[in-house]
Amino acid sequence: MTNLLEVKGLTTRVSGFTIINNLDFSIEENELRVLLGPNGAGKTTLICMITGQFKPAAGSIHFAGRDITGWAPDDIFQAGISRKFQVPNMYETLSVFDNIMVSLQGRRRVFATLFQRLSGAERDRIWEILEFVELADKASDPADSLSHGERQWLELGMLIASNPKLLLLDEPTTGMTEDGKHKTAELIRKIAQTHTVLLVEHDMHIVRQIGKRITVLHQGQMLADGPMSEVMNNETVRRVYLGKGKFQ
Amino acid sequence: MLQSIITQFLSGFSVVAILVIAALGLAIIFGVAGVINMAHGELIMVGAYTAAVVGKLGGNTFAAIPVAFVVVGLLGLVIERGIIQWIYDRPLETLLATWGVGIILQVLIKLIFGPELYYVGAPKILEGGFRVIGRLPFPWYRLFLIVMAVLLLLLVFYVIFKTDLGLKVRAVRRNRAISGCLGIDTAKIDMTIFAFGCGLAGIAGAVLAPIKSVSTTMGFPYAVDSYMVLVLGGVGSLWGVLTGGALIGEAETILSFIFNNVIGRLLVFLFIVIIIRIVPRGIFGYYERR
Amino acid sequence: MAEAVVRDEAQGATTQRKLAPAPRRQYRAPTFLPLWALIGGVIVVALIGSYPYYGSNAYVLSLLGKFLCFAIFALSIDLIWGFTGILSLGQAVYFGIGAYFVALSLKINYAMDHPTRYGGKFPDFMEWNGLTELPHFMRPLINTPFAVVCALLVPTLLALLFGVITFKRHIYGVYCAVITLAESLILQDAIIEYQAYTGGFNGITDYSNYATPAFLWFILAVAVVFLIVSRALTHSRVGTVLKSIRDNDVRAEFMGYNVANYRIFVFCVSAFMAAAAGALYAAWVGIISFLDAGPVFSIEGVIWTAVGGRGTLIGPFIGAFLVKGAEFFLSGALASWWQIIVGGLFVFVVLVMRDGIVGTIGNLLRKRRKGATFEEVMEESDQRAHDRQLDWQPGGPPPADEPVR
Repeated sequence: MTNLLEVKGLTTRVSGFTIINNLDFSIEENELRVLLGPNGAGKTTLICMITGQFKPAAGSIHFAGRDITGWAPDDIFQAGISRKFQVPNMYETLSVFDNIMVSLQGRRRVFATLFQRLSGAERDRIWEILEFVELADKASDPADSLSHGERQWLELGMLIASNPKLLLLDEPTTGMTEDGKHKTAELIRKIAQTHTVLLVEHDMHIVRQIGKRITVLHQGQMLADGPMSEVMNNETVRRVYLGKGKFQ
Repeated sequence: MLQSIITQFLSGFSVVAILVIAALGLAIIFGVAGVINMAHGELIMVGAYTAAVVGKLGGNTFAAIPVAFVVVGLLGLVIERGIIQWIYDRPLETLLATWGVGIILQVLIKLIFGPELYYVGAPKILEGGFRVIGRLPFPWYRLFLIVMAVLLLLLVFYVIFKTDLGLKVRAVRRNRAISGCLGIDTAKIDMTIFAFGCGLAGIAGAVLAPIKSVSTTMGFPYAVDSYMVLVLGGVGSLWGVLTGGALIGEAETILSFIFNNVIGRLLVFLFIVIIIRIVPRGIFGYYERR
Repeated sequence: MAEAVVRDEAQGATTQRKLAPAPRRQYRAPTFLPLWALIGGVIVVALIGSYPYYGSNAYVLSLLGKFLCFAIFALSIDLIWGFTGILSLGQAVYFGIGAYFVALSLKINYAMDHPTRYGGKFPDFMEWNGLTELPHFMRPLINTPFAVVCALLVPTLLALLFGVITFKRHIYGVYCAVITLAESLILQDAIIEYQAYTGGFNGITDYSNYATPAFLWFILAVAVVFLIVSRALTHSRVGTVLKSIRDNDVRAEFMGYNVANYRIFVFCVSAFMAAAAGALYAAWVGIISFLDAGPVFSIEGVIWTAVGGRGTLIGPFIGAFLVKGAEFFLSGALASWWQIIVGGLFVFVVLVMRDGIVGTIGNLLRKRRKGATFEEVMEESDQRAHDRQLDWQPGGPPPADEPVR
């Protein structure tokens, strides 16, 4: 299995702080990888780097064989990477249906969208996704009328609609009830059957529910990487998470 | 030619001073309170008219300064309580609402004072000038303006960074909700800071009145200039006010001398746009981060 | 249990097997032209268009034409402000440039047919300023159709330039507003300064104007066309994308949309419209001056749009007609007090009726169907306004990861 995403020697400085320090990181195709780490470890920053929000001070990012270091966010999207934000980010005044519609995989250029009409197949796809994230009854409601959990699912739905090769999910269960978290974890597991997913999570229950291979970041470097049982029993990981361990 | 440029450079200092004095009030209101005050020019204008009234009553500019501070400060209080306090979280609306206030102020002043221009003279002690370089004397009043600019900068710096009030203001600016929970009376802080900014605009008006004639439309160019200073220098930074004012003031003076007024302004405008492209939040501007 | 989805790379196309059963659901997309709009529009157009037949006041006729031009101008502002979220306080730049091109051309032609006292066959203001003949660079303007093309194209290109310079660097919100304001002021100053070429303070006057019924119908037709085009634009996929950019440009960008390009596109369309409005205005009214290109006029357009209802397309029309119409009827009696009312109206709209007349009515109607109270409607409008104005904070928009407060 080839590596879909390949990060080599990545170093990032934001506002003078070195957040990611010479990091080597890779994800295989069709994997569900969980990214763990205490606050400030650089998980969100890593995602920001991959999606083009920040430019690295050093190192490279390769995706599906192409070097995407320094690309603009919309180009990276076209290459096949989609990102979910920690806080639900959707289009508030648009209806739920429109939120999904606008995220559908397809042409993105101005003149291409000028005369674009919604085809039957696309319409079916939207309804499919709405059913999948259980928002089909709220299709005509404006997105800002949804509850917090529903908003997270809406954003998940939008990402599915964009049909990416790699999905970066940044703590998608933030602020949800226990029930909601379980449901979301199931949704993610289903999504991961057909897409490559990088999941950043804090909640260990969810990680245990769906995690297979885990990478732990700490202070911008990789602390541990491997199957769940191995990582969970790693002394250093336990110290860092539970105690005041410092990465040497 | 070189001598002329140097003369222009020196006289540019007073233009810088004017910009700094005008922009300070806006820097407080916009940079600290987050209100996009489109009535800034009119507040300066009211300050100038206050100076005119003081002049008619026998006082001079030195007397006009505190009077204008109080008058325009009170006016600011009224505006803040009546309008601004409802729309702090909606900056775009502060822009529109204050534009409406500006229109009202213009018309009110015109109704009270009539449409003719007023002339406010400089205090006798500051008339005339002194030799610096070349044949033209450097006016004392311009030097006074430079001194005023420095004094006001120091005053604002002191208030914001060295007083208890300033600390509270900065806290409220950073995080209104938590500050409220910690016992800071956010309403009082809002009122104080807005009134203070308006008061500064009033002082600007009183001090700038002797330069050109006083009319109801005199304020608008000052407002646009103040915004340019903040955009270039960076909102929310006193260094920004100084730097922005210095760059714009000098550039405009020298370029206007070489070409003409309009081309000078145009070139400065283009210069600002180029700088903004490189530093979108201004030279000393900040990006709010967690 | 739902089947998995597989992406068929080899075929290049995406064959997507079902994630979940897809029933036939009801989703009513808003219609392009609701019946009430069609009927109302026809009535209004008929009323205005037939004025020459039932009314005989030439002044009212001239007002109708003027107001239509103002309405198109306000529509152009609504397009970029109400739908895309960019506040330009210098829209009059495009209006003014369009107007000056046409006015100069008409004036030059007029002067050629009506020589001045000294026999010069070129505009009088040029003569007063010491020019001895028509400047060379203005000669192409003798050809009026060419001047019209310039009137439309030059502002659009200028808007393109402006968009590329500012939007590509993500300069929005208050910075964009201030820069456009300064731009407008500079143009106004330039017009006054170079009075030999522009007529300066006095503006361009005394050229033939076309305030005829036929031209009124032409302006009316242009207004209707622009309205339909705007509706098509905002109703289309582009419109939805624009609204999504307005609501959350970070999300749109990370969903693959080049936000800057979309904004530039709308900005150019809007400039084109404003330029057309200016060109029509110059031909209709017969007098233009630096005021038509300056910040005051720009902000007037914003006022009309705000009062009528931004983001509604017909709001600007109603706002322009209402405010300007009221000015016509009341300013005689109230003189300067009228301005206070305008200012107060602005403050009122901002504080109370944020979505303007049409917007508020629309909100109420929509909510009545769902049974919400008036307070709830207003509160929702407040919240929406709060959420949408986060990128107007001086420090810039909060990072997308930060919870929206």
